[in-house]
Amino acid sequence: MTMSSTLNIQNLTVSLRSGLPLLRQVNLTLEPGEVRALVGESGAGKSMIGKAVLGTLPPATRVTRGQIFLRGQALDHLNAAQRRHCVAQSAALIPQDPLTALNPVRRIAPQITDPLTRIHGWSAERAQTRALELLDRVEIRDPARVMRSYPHELSGGMRQRILIAAAFAPSPPLIVADEPTTALDVTVQKQILKLIRELQKEVGTAVLFVTHDMGVVAKISQKVSVLFQGRVMEDSTTEAIFSNPTHPYTRALIAATPSYADPARSFSPVPPELIAQMKSKIAQEEIL
Amino acid sequence: MFLRTVLSRLLTTLVTLFGVAVVVFVLVRVAPGNPIAMMLPPGASEDDIAQLTALYGFDKSLVEQFFIWIGGVVQGDFGTSITLRQPVADLVLSRLPATLELSFFALLIAVAIGGVAAVIGARRRGSPTEAAVDLTSGAVLSIPDFLWGLLFVLLFGVLWPVLSISGRLDPRLEFDFLTNFVAIEGLLRGRFDVAGSAFSHMLMPALSLALPLAALIAQLLKQNLKEVLIQDYTTLPRVRGFSETQVILRDAMRNAALPTLTLVGVQFTFLIGGTVIVERLFAYGGLGNMAIDAVINRDLPLIQGIVLLFAALFVAINLLVDLSYTLLNPRLRHG
Ligand SMILES: Nc1ncnc2c1ncn2[C@@H]1O[C@H](COP(=O)(O)OP(=O)(O)O)[C@@H](O)[C@H]1O
Ligand SMILES: [Mg+2]
Repeated sequence: MTMSSTLNIQNLTVSLRSGLPLLRQVNLTLEPGEVRALVGESGAGKSMIGKAVLGTLPPATRVTRGQIFLRGQALDHLNAAQRRHCVAQSAALIPQDPLTALNPVRRIAPQITDPLTRIHGWSAERAQTRALELLDRVEIRDPARVMRSYPHELSGGMRQRILIAAAFAPSPPLIVADEPTTALDVTVQKQILKLIRELQKEVGTAVLFVTHDMGVVAKISQKVSVLFQGRVMEDSTTEAIFSNPTHPYTRALIAATPSYADPARSFSPVPPELIAQMKSKIAQEEIL
Repeated sequence: MFLRTVLSRLLTTLVTLFGVAVVVFVLVRVAPGNPIAMMLPPGASEDDIAQLTALYGFDKSLVEQFFIWIGGVVQGDFGTSITLRQPVADLVLSRLPATLELSFFALLIAVAIGGVAAVIGARRRGSPTEAAVDLTSGAVLSIPDFLWGLLFVLLFGVLWPVLSISGRLDPRLEFDFLTNFVAIEGLLRGRFDVAGSAFSHMLMPALSLALPLAALIAQLLKQNLKEVLIQDYTTLPRVRGFSETQVILRDAMRNAALPTLTLVGVQFTFLIGGTVIVERLFAYGGLGNMAIDAVINRDLPLIQGIVLLFAALFVAINLLVDLSYTLLNPRLRHG
C-alpha cells in the first residue's frame, strides 16, 4: 500500500522549539486521484500538515517524529535540494488567499509558466500553450490579455482561478488546497469548488483539501480526517462520517455547519464542555 | 492628469533653481574676501581697483547685479570667470563629464557591492554570515568618504604605490577626444588602453565615494529583502522548486528594490556632494576640484555657475529616481 500511495504520512509529530507539539502522531494516506478533506477548527493544525508535506514549515517549528512518503519516496532521506526537487515534481499548492499569493510586480504569464520551463524543463511554447489552455479551462475570458496583466488588475476570484490553473498546469500527482475558497464571497466559492473538483477528475490528481466547513467536505471529498489540536480524531470515508460519525467532536462539527436550507437550525457551535474534555484527555495521554 | 503632474514638477524645479540662485548669489557676496583685491598685485592704485570693480560690475547695487546675472543665465550666459578669464558656461561644462563619470562609476560600485552583500545577508538570514554583513557594513558606514580617500592615498599612493592616485588619465596616452567623457569614449571607440587608464585613475576616488553608500545599500536592501521573503507570494515559488537564492533574485528583489531606490537616490546626491573633497584629494580634474579653486580665489561668477549646475544635477537625479520608481512599480505605471 505504501508504495502505490500518492501521499503517506506516518506518525508525524511537528513541534515548536519549546517542545509544544502542533501535530501529534498524524497518520494519513492519499491514494492516486483521491480527495481527502482535512477538517477541524481554526488552529487545529490543518495547514501545518500541508506545510510539512510541501516543505514550508515555519522556521519556529520542526519535525520531531515520523515520516512523509511522497509517491513512495521518504522525504527525510533527501537533502534540501533533492527534497525541493521531489516536492516540485510531485505536488502543487492552491493557496488560501489569492490576493496575497501572487507577486505584485510580476505579470501573470511568468508566474504560471516559470516553473514549467525552469523546473519541469518544458519549452517556452509548450508552457505558454498549456497556460492558455488551462486559463481557458478555468473559464477566464481573454486568457492572452490576462497573461499580460499584473495581479492588481484582476479580481480575487480571477486570481484564484489563475492559481488553480497554475497548480494543475504540470499535472501534478498531488495538490494541497489550503482553504482555497475561504477568502472569496459565497457565489464565487461554489464556482471555484466546482472547478477544482472537475479538474481533479480530468487530470487525475489526488487532492489534500483543507477546510473547516463540513458542507464543503460533503461536496468534494471521498475521505476525511478530522483534526483537533494537531491530532487525528477520526479518519474515515466521507459517507461514513456523515451517516455514522463515531467521534462526538465530528458530530459537533457536522452540527456546527450552517445550513442554507434551514437557517433556523444553522450553527450550533461545538460545546465548550466537549472541547475541555478532549483537551484534558490529550494532556493525560501526553504524560503517559 | 499626467500633463498636470509634469507641469507642476517643472514649475517646482524652476522655483527650486531660482531659490538656489538667490541664496548662492547672496552668500558669496556676504562672505569675507574681495575678489578684485585678490586679482591685483599688492600695492595697486585706488584707480586700478575702481576700474576693475566697474568692469566686473561690482560697483552696482546687489539687486542690480543679481538681475544682470540672472538675465544672462536664462540666455545661457553665466558670466566670465575672474581668474580663468573664460566664459563660466564653457569651463563648467568642460569639467562636468569628469564628475559625472566619477559619480556614476562610484554609484555602480556601491550598487554592486551593496547588492551582493544584501543578497548574501538575506540568503543566510539569522546565521553568523548575516551578522558579519551587519558588522562590516556598520563599520564601513561609520567612516566618511574623504577619510576613505585619505586612507587609499596612504595605502596605494605611499605605502604600496600600485594604482594611480592623481589625475584622470595617463598623460602619455595619445588620443583625440571628441568629448570629455574619457572613460566612456575610450570604451565606445574601442580604445581600451584609454578606458583602462581612465577607470584605474577613477578606482580609488570612486571607491572612497562608494563605500559608505555600499554599506547603506547592504543594510537597507537586506532588511527590505527579509521583509519581502516572509510575504505570502514567496511561498509559491518555493513550493514550485525554486531555490532560496532564485526566490531572492527572481521574486523578492524587485519588490525590495522599490523602497531602497528612493533612499539611494537621495544618498546619490550626497555622494556627488562628496566629490568636491574627494576630487581634490586625488587631483581629479572635475567640477568639485574646480569649485575649491573658485572658492579660494573668490571667483564669484564661477562659484555661482558651479553651484547652480550642482543644483540642476540634484534636481535631475530626483526626477530620474521618481521616473524609475514608476517604471518598476506596475501599480503606478497606468495610474
Ligand atoms: N509560524 C508559526 N509559528 C508558531 N506557531 C504557529 C505558526 N503557524 C501556526 N502555528 C500554530 O500551529 C497551530 C496549527 O496552525 P495551523 O496549521 O495554521 O491551523 P489551521 O488548522 O487553522 O490551519 C496553531 O496553534 C498555530 O497557532
Ligand atoms: Mg490554516
